[in-house]
Amino acid sequence: MGECSFWDWITDTLHLRDLPFMGAPSLMFNVRYWFGTIAVAALAWQVLTGLILLLYYQPSNAYDSTMAIIHNVPFGSILLSSHLYGAYVMILAAYVHGIDVFLRGTYKKSGGAQWVLGVLLFVLTLGVSFIGYSLTGDVLATDAVDVGKGVLTALGLQSLIPVFFGNGTQLDLFTRLLGWHIIVAAVIILLFMLHYPRVGYRVPAISRNNDLTIKPWWPRNLIFTLAVTLLTWGVILLVPSILAVPQVLGKVPILFSPYPGPSLTSPQASSIPAYPPWFFLFLYKMVDMPFGLTVNAVMGIVIPLVVLLIIPALDRGGSPHLLDRPWVTALFITGLIWVIELSVWGAVQPGIPVKPTWFAVVIIPPVLVSFGGVYAARRRWIKVKGRIARFTTRGVKFSLSKNTAVALGYSTSMIAIVAITTSFALNPISDGPYVGVMWGIALISLAASLMAYLYVEYL
Amino acid sequence: MAGGGVDEGRRNFLKAMIIVAGLSVFVGMLRGLEVLVPPKVGLEEFPRLLLVDERGNPIKASSIPVNGRQIALFPYPLNNEPNMLLNLGDENGKPVEVPPITVVIPQNGVSYEFPGGVGPSRSIVAYSAICQHLGCTFPELTFYPPGVKVMTANGPMDKIIYCRCHGSTFDPYRGGAVVTGPTVRPLPAVVLEWDPSTDELYAVKMIGPVIYGHPGFSNPTLDTVKNPTGDLQGGSPAGVATTVVKYYSNPIL
Ligand code: FES
Repeated sequence: MGECSFWDWITDTLHLRDLPFMGAPSLMFNVRYWFGTIAVAALAWQVLTGLILLLYYQPSNAYDSTMAIIHNVPFGSILLSSHLYGAYVMILAAYVHGIDVFLRGTYKKSGGAQWVLGVLLFVLTLGVSFIGYSLTGDVLATDAVDVGKGVLTALGLQSLIPVFFGNGTQLDLFTRLLGWHIIVAAVIILLFMLHYPRVGYRVPAISRNNDLTIKPWWPRNLIFTLAVTLLTWGVILLVPSILAVPQVLGKVPILFSPYPGPSLTSPQASSIPAYPPWFFLFLYKMVDMPFGLTVNAVMGIVIPLVVLLIIPALDRGGSPHLLDRPWVTALFITGLIWVIELSVWGAVQPGIPVKPTWFAVVIIPPVLVSFGGVYAARRRWIKVKGRIARFTTRGVKFSLSKNTAVALGYSTSMIAIVAITTSFALNPISDGPYVGVMWGIALISLAASLMAYLYVEYL
Repeated sequence: MAGGGVDEGRRNFLKAMIIVAGLSVFVGMLRGLEVLVPPKVGLEEFPRLLLVDERGNPIKASSIPVNGRQIALFPYPLNNEPNMLLNLGDENGKPVEVPPITVVIPQNGVSYEFPGGVGPSRSIVAYSAICQHLGCTFPELTFYPPGVKVMTANGPMDKIIYCRCHGSTFDPYRGGAVVTGPTVRPLPAVVLEWDPSTDELYAVKMIGPVIYGHPGFSNPTLDTVKNPTGDLQGGSPAGVATTVVKYYSNPIL
């Protein structure tokens, strides 16, 4: 087999078997364990597209230069919209990854350092996305900057306003936003490097070499990582490109539009409520609460952040089972429900002041339901706990036959080839969204065929 | 184990397929590197651009307000060449048909044919928003709709485009012709096209003197007024397939 010896040659030449990457058991080839990887893949996409955008963005001409990227630069519409959705994917992946880590209680094992680092990364990711969102200079960006200034003032940090937003001129505002966008992104990358290798205690690798279910890093982990990365990039390209197709674009709610909104001077601007980006809607609704801006900001930002940061210090050791740490679990569930409630509320009634009764109606029930539910479940759990020594989780048994997987692999790689060939017939400026759709389909199909191959060959 | 009963030939074929697919996707996306090539400054010929709003939706001709309280501006053919899009009407806000007309340049007597208005009532026209005298732009140069008079060298006038810098006056109902100086050249006009089936508007070329500040603007000749290619130089293109119309409030209202 010429091909086999070729792979062997590569493996030997590059000493791939000796790399300090660790193997992983088969059950780890499940997307659930890989949301951290998805976040890193999205980050890589952000760095790539962000650096290219840097070649075109002009702080002196924020809105028009942004629109010129969409209308005049080859592949520019894809570049800009995928940079936006790459951030969205990163935020979503960070949420899911954080929830997953919490549910499994793994923050106990690392002594809390990884958890704290993770929370910081989450906050910085929201921050960098907020700044990036404001760079476009559209009507939403202007509102977002105003809210940001308001929140800083409420927290008694007015002196930071010129640091972040400049001396008041438009030019200084956008020059600074661009600078901070890059600085915070660089900090995120550095923190990721600290966050990532330590992940070895759980995912994507496990270090017990004597376990026979654990296969070497090469090539399985590589193929899987590659597939997850391509899948992530495919989604980042496909979703905004579909939304940017002219027939769809007009119907997309402004909060999820792949392109900037109207400029400040446009008559449409007045009909658009002052929205922050969707991932800050919960905070925006908190600002409407009836307690005065300072209390609102402390309740919406400072307290949740402090609680998240000190969880590992309060809840150490012991069983990671959710019901063995009932109050943390209940608190976490409460917080999640609050975020969802407030976000939806903020989208429906942006900027409308909240009456104290409504505050009580929205804020109190989740507390009662979560704590009541968790403690009720715990009472049953304590009764049965002794009898079930330990949950043995098994990977879900695949019922997919290997022959079907081969057929799937064939068809998805065919789809990838057809999609990418089609993209050559499209104009990179006028047909931008369609090129993005084709690329997205090609990448997702390629990821699927890699998964199929991994399944046929190694699982 | 490996392959789980799938014969080796099929497995290798799958591997080969994936490698081919991977390589083609790689090569296909390598084309994306074209993103690094900046758009050309200037153009070879007048592009045909669809007028769209800021969200990319085409502007509908019948929805352009008559004598609009707001001034619609769009760049054409280059980004630094703003033009006013006007739906002209009479005192009662009824659209007025703008007929084709011969426009004479006072500077040297050269003339050209203005093609007239477009749209359902042939009332939609577009002119450069840069004054031909010394280059003042909107909002200094703006449209005075019926009933809103301004003191010109010819006395109080409405239904004109008037420049507050030095008082040049142009007639948008007559191809942008000069009404009073100090300008010696009419306002360049954008030749529009209206698609009755979709109600969409296209900018297809310019006619008249070269836009102020672009090569040859001070010296209109019989050839250049028909095809003012000087407009195509000295800036980056307004768009490839579309140009964005933005509304501004008219400062005089
Ligand atoms: S620049 Fe307009 S009149 Fe002088």
